[in-house]
Amino acid sequence: MTDARRARYVALFAAEARSLLTSARRALSRWQEDPAQSDSAEEIFRALHTIKGMAASLEFNVAADLAHATETTLSDVRRGEQAATTPWLHEFEVALDRIAAECESAILEAGGEADANAALPSRPSRIVRVDVERLDALLGNLGSLVTARQELERRAAADTFSPIARAALQMSRRLDALQDRILDVRLAPLSEVFERIPPMVRDLGRSLGKDVTVDVTGDRLEVDRAILDQLAEPLLHLMRNAVDHGIELPDVRREAGKRPGGRITVSARQDGDAVIIEITDDGRGIDREVVARRARALGILAEDAVLSDDGLLSVLERPGFSTAAQVTDVSGRGVGLDVVVARMRDVGAALSLTTILGRGSVFSLKLPTRLGIVRALVTGIGEERYVMPLTHVIELVAWERDLVGQQDGRAVLFVRGDALPIVDLRRLLQYRGGDPPTRRPAVVFEANGQRVALLADAVHGQIEAVVQPIDRPAGLARWITGATVLDDGRPALLMDLASVV
Amino acid sequence: MAHRILICDDAIFMRTMIADILTGAGYEVAGEAGSGLQAVERYKALKPDLVTMDIVMPDMGGIDAVKAIIALDPAARILMCSAMGQQQLVVEAIQSGAKDFVVKPFQPARVLEAVQRALGG
Repeated sequence: MTDARRARYVALFAAEARSLLTSARRALSRWQEDPAQSDSAEEIFRALHTIKGMAASLEFNVAADLAHATETTLSDVRRGEQAATTPWLHEFEVALDRIAAECESAILEAGGEADANAALPSRPSRIVRVDVERLDALLGNLGSLVTARQELERRAAADTFSPIARAALQMSRRLDALQDRILDVRLAPLSEVFERIPPMVRDLGRSLGKDVTVDVTGDRLEVDRAILDQLAEPLLHLMRNAVDHGIELPDVRREAGKRPGGRITVSARQDGDAVIIEITDDGRGIDREVVARRARALGILAEDAVLSDDGLLSVLERPGFSTAAQVTDVSGRGVGLDVVVARMRDVGAALSLTTILGRGSVFSLKLPTRLGIVRALVTGIGEERYVMPLTHVIELVAWERDLVGQQDGRAVLFVRGDALPIVDLRRLLQYRGGDPPTRRPAVVFEANGQRVALLADAVHGQIEAVVQPIDRPAGLARWITGATVLDDGRPALLMDLASVV
Repeated sequence: MAHRILICDDAIFMRTMIADILTGAGYEVAGEAGSGLQAVERYKALKPDLVTMDIVMPDMGGIDAVKAIIALDPAARILMCSAMGQQQLVVEAIQSGAKDFVVKPFQPARVLEAVQRALGG
C-alpha cells in the first residue's frame, strides 16, 4: 500500500469511525433510558461491526480486537443470554470509551489528524445576500450574450484564420467560463430543504403513533436556487408518503419480525452534473398486486400484464390514481405521486422506484444541478412571446391560402403532399386580444411520432434560452414547462411541444 | 471490455478500499451502495457483471439483498464480503445464490482471485 493511499484510508477511517462512535453513544443513551427496546442495540452492533472491519483492514489490531470483544458481549444480550442491566450498560459505556480512545491513538500513530470536531474555529463569513430576482436578471443577460455569441461565431466561420475569428474564439471561451460562474452563484445547499425533514417526520410519526427515525446525508451538495425551490414540496410529499404509507405501526412491524421503530434515510450524492437523492424506508413496500388490480379495473393495464418497478411507477403517477388504501388525511386524497412526478419533470428530473413487499421502498430522484440552456424558437401571439425548444421543430412554413384545407372535418396544412393537423396557438392559449394577422406562419414539429403544424401570429427568430422552472398555479396548461428571459429583458413562457399533441 | 462491478458496503472506507483493489486490477466500478435496499436498486439500474456484498448493513442486510437480486436476476453473480464471526450468515448467503465469499480484512490477492472465479463461473 502506498503512503498516499494509506493516508487517505486513515482519513476515511477517522471520519467514519468517529461518526459511528458518536451515533453508538447516542443510541446507548437512548437504550439506558429504555432498556426494554432493542433498536439501539442493533444500531450499536452495526457500528461496532463496521469499526472492527475497518480497523482490521488498517491493521489497527488493538482497536479491532476491542471492537470484536465488545461486539461479542453485545451479541450475548441480543440473543437474550445476558440481560441489559444497569451495571452491564454502564460497563458497556466504558467499553465504547475505550474503543474510541484506542481508535484515536491509532489514527494519530498512523499520521492522521486529531479529532478537531468541537474545536473548529469559526471563520468570519464573507457572504453577500442577493435577491434572487437580480440573479434571474443576470441570467437574462447571459442568454442574450450567448445568442450574440452564436451570431459572431457564424460570421467568423467565413474566415477561420482572420483576427476576428481568433478574437471570437477567445470571447467564446471566456463566455463559457462566465456562464459557469453565473450558474455557480445561483447554487444553494440541499440542507435548506433537508433540514425541514427531521422535524416533519418526527411530528408526523408521533401523530400517527409510529416510531420513525430519519437519517439525512449529503445535504451539503448544491443545486440551482430555482431547482431547489421546486424540489421542496415534492420531496416533503415523498417523505410524508414514506411515514404514512411506508412505515408500519410498531405492533405490525413486530409481528413481521422487524424492529418496532421504522427508519427512513434521505441521501444525496453527486453523479456527474446531476444530484441523486434517494429516499429509503424500511416499511411495508408497495403491494403491486393491489395496484395492478386497480389498474386493471381502470382499464390501464392489460389483464395478463405484470407490473415491474418501472411499470408500477408509471401507473402510480397517473393523475388521480389512488388505491383505497392510499387515501388518508395525511397524504391527500388521491393527489400524490402524479403531482410529485409532474413537478420533477418540470425541472428536468427523473424519478425511479424500487420496492420490495414487506421490506421497504427506495424512491430515487435524479436532479440536474444547474439550469439548462437550450436553443429555442421565439413565436408570438399579439404582444405575447412563446418560446419552444428547437429539438422538436422540423421547419417553418410561410402562410399560403392554398396550403390550408379540410380533411375528415379537421383543419390541415398541406406540406409537400402531406396533410398535417393544425394546432392554432391562439386557440390553445384561449387568446382573446385582437384579430390574427392575415398571413400566419406555421411551425412544423414532430412529437410522439406525429407531425403537427402549429399556427402562430409571427416568428421572432432563435435564441439561446436559459430555462428556469416556474411555480405552477393550479390550472396552468401542462405544456407550459418553464420560463426564460428574452434578449430585450421580457419574460416568456417555454412550451413543451411534445405535450401539445 | 472491463467487467463492471457494483460495491455494496455501509462503510465508505470499505467501499473505497474494495474499489481501489478492483480498479487496480483493471475492473470498472459500476457503482456503490450503502444499504441492502440501495444494492437492489443499483443492481436493477446498473446491471453489473458482479456484486460485492457486505452482510451487516442498515435498512436491509446483505443476505436479504442477495435473495432479492437473485429473484430479479437468477444469473446475478454476487461475492459476499464478511467480517470475522459471520460464518453462519455466509453459508446462508451461498445457499441463497451468492457465488463465493471473502473475509475482512481484505487481502487484495484473495479478493481478486475470488472476483475472477465468480466472473468465470
